Amino acid sequence: MLSEERRVEQQSALTQPAAGRLAAPDVRDEFGLETIDMSMGPQHPAMHGLLRLILELDGETVVRCDPVMGYLHRCQEKIAENRMYPAVIPLTDRLDYFANMHNEHGYVLAVEDQLDVEIPPRAEYIRVLMCELMRLASHIPSIGFLMLELGAFTPILYAFRERERIQTIFEAVTGARMMFHYIRIGGVKADLPPDIPQQIWDYIEGLEARFQSDFVDLIQDNEIFISRTRGVGKMTGEKALEMGLTGPPLRCTGVDFDIRRDYPYSIYPELEFDVITDTAGDVEASYRVRIAECLQSIRLIKQCLEKMPEGAVMGDLGRRLRPKEGDGFGRVESPRGEFAVHIVSDGSDTPYRVHYRDPSFCNMQLLQEVVPGHYLPDIMPIMGLIDPVSGGWDK
Amino acid sequence: MQTVLNLLEAEPIRLFLSFGVILFLVLNLAAILTMAERKASAYIQLRYGPNRVGPRGLLQPAADVFKLFTKENVTPGRADLWVFLGAPIAMFIPAALVWMVVPFSPDAVVADLNVGILFFVAITSIGALGVVMAGYGSRSTFSLLGALRGAAQIISYEVPLILSLLGVIMLTGSLSLVDVVNAQGDAFWTWYFLPQLPMFLTFYIAGLAEVKRVPFDLPEGESEIVGGFMVEYSGMTWALIQAAEFASMGLMSAVSVTLFLGGWQPPLPFLDLGPFNWVWFGLKTSLIMFTFQWIRWSLPRLRMDQLMDLGWKVLVPITLVWLFVTAGAMLIIPGN
Repeated sequence: MLSEERRVEQQSALTQPAAGRLAAPDVRDEFGLETIDMSMGPQHPAMHGLLRLILELDGETVVRCDPVMGYLHRCQEKIAENRMYPAVIPLTDRLDYFANMHNEHGYVLAVEDQLDVEIPPRAEYIRVLMCELMRLASHIPSIGFLMLELGAFTPILYAFRERERIQTIFEAVTGARMMFHYIRIGGVKADLPPDIPQQIWDYIEGLEARFQSDFVDLIQDNEIFISRTRGVGKMTGEKALEMGLTGPPLRCTGVDFDIRRDYPYSIYPELEFDVITDTAGDVEASYRVRIAECLQSIRLIKQCLEKMPEGAVMGDLGRRLRPKEGDGFGRVESPRGEFAVHIVSDGSDTPYRVHYRDPSFCNMQLLQEVVPGHYLPDIMPIMGLIDPVSGGWDK
Repeated sequence: MQTVLNLLEAEPIRLFLSFGVILFLVLNLAAILTMAERKASAYIQLRYGPNRVGPRGLLQPAADVFKLFTKENVTPGRADLWVFLGAPIAMFIPAALVWMVVPFSPDAVVADLNVGILFFVAITSIGALGVVMAGYGSRSTFSLLGALRGAAQIISYEVPLILSLLGVIMLTGSLSLVDVVNAQGDAFWTWYFLPQLPMFLTFYIAGLAEVKRVPFDLPEGESEIVGGFMVEYSGMTWALIQAAEFASMGLMSAVSVTLFLGGWQPPLPFLDLGPFNWVWFGLKTSLIMFTFQWIRWSLPRLRMDQLMDLGWKVLVPITLVWLFVTAGAMLIIPGN
């Protein structure tokens, strides 16, 4: 990914104090003007957690942008090797903390790949219901974050009002607001409380009514929003595929790819939904994709609630959980893209190896490729296009 | 007693005393505006805002000031100390000084300068110096970028700001703000904002840029350069910068009211309050300040190149065209 020279440079950026580096740069253009090196983050309000960008600036134009990750590394994969299979689920909650349900779902799918267990249909419906609520609770704030990074403070508070209500539903169902530990191997932890389907239904109806005014009318036709996002972070579909992007950043370039439809899992084949694509491939397109996906999620949630069968929510697993020897693989469409889990089982009750493919990490490729040539303030909407989560890129 | 009063009315002493009063009022205005800003943003964002200190949270500014006074003033190790500490003062003094020529009511104006408008233009440009001093003195990359943006923005927007004033000057035939207010008459349809509507809007937009408010808060740009020129300030120096920003925001509202919305003139003739006409001035200024805050909490921020485009390619042509329209109208319509 990086040339050897770059790598040495990046190493020195990590070890040397900023003062020494600022005095040193010797890159001059035809007017004898130097570029400035700037370290943005890891403590920076717009860096979505702990990300450091080493920037080389020519005036306000970015010449080079190297993301430095690892400030939130918690050895998630190594810890998982020392835990029994069910005890890894709470760890997955801590990965991408805006898509906890999807992390659990991905991991559980990977383990069930190596188990002979039948998941009761009600459990599948509850899983999908929760995942789609989670997608709403992630997409809506991400629109708010995009606006926050453009300098508008108000939409984020409207967004968090919605997220708060969804979290209240999660709290009633799972007992926790963020770290759910709800989707279990073989099913889900507990059935929905009796009044919850009605509550979800009421909330979704209300959200549909508010959605247009609070998140579309306030933002979409705003001249400043359009001028800040249209054409910013522009990339083609081939480029996006080359970089290995998934999720909204890929779909906004026109590539029609969604794990839920192309590699169907759970009960998605039985539900009706559209895969949203846009052709522009810029920040504005990613915003439109997210807005439209929210409406698709609402559609999916309604179908789940209507079709939900009665019955048990936990399959028969036996006393000790020992997946058969070999590789287990699970992939889900998280709000940020493809979240995949690879498990190597040696037949014991702890995994031999767990690997997470997190979309926040993979989509971060985009920064190095797309940012150079843009202005410094354009980095923020491009971050909003990726919408990475710190817990996701540092595992 | 009479001698004391005479002494107080002697010219240099009266000026100094009035400036003291103005300084006091401006500092209070800044404190009240922080509170208003927080309350306004809270209501826009479906929150309560500060509501703990004093009745309905009204003593919050006092608590804020106390906190900032007792806070340690951190100076960066590499800072150019005199420039760094001088910057907040260089920003605050001009913002307070221009209030001297603003007529509050028929009799209440500290100095009726015959070049009041020029004084306003000249003194507000000094604010750019403070921004550059702050950015340069802090010796930080973020501050430097903020200062460069601030300097470019303030100096560029001086041009449409000054051009938009020319129409009013032509109509009045005087540079004194008192004359401008007197010429506008005591009914809202005779105020200058109607014949000079494009100029008024240009002045308003350029004024927003001049006081570095959203959508033109690029020198601060908290999501990219985290506070820009003021990123290294803390404690009282930071408070002084904030006070300067709020004072200049109030000033810009007051001047736009004076020039285009009739100053202290009542909106309808029978609403004339005589010596209490400052109420009208206060109401109109508050209205403009509220729109500043409304915009602040609704809109995203422009980018530097777009800001320059707006200034040079939109605002300047509009003002120039309307300048000729005004001149033509004055030639054609007699007695104007």
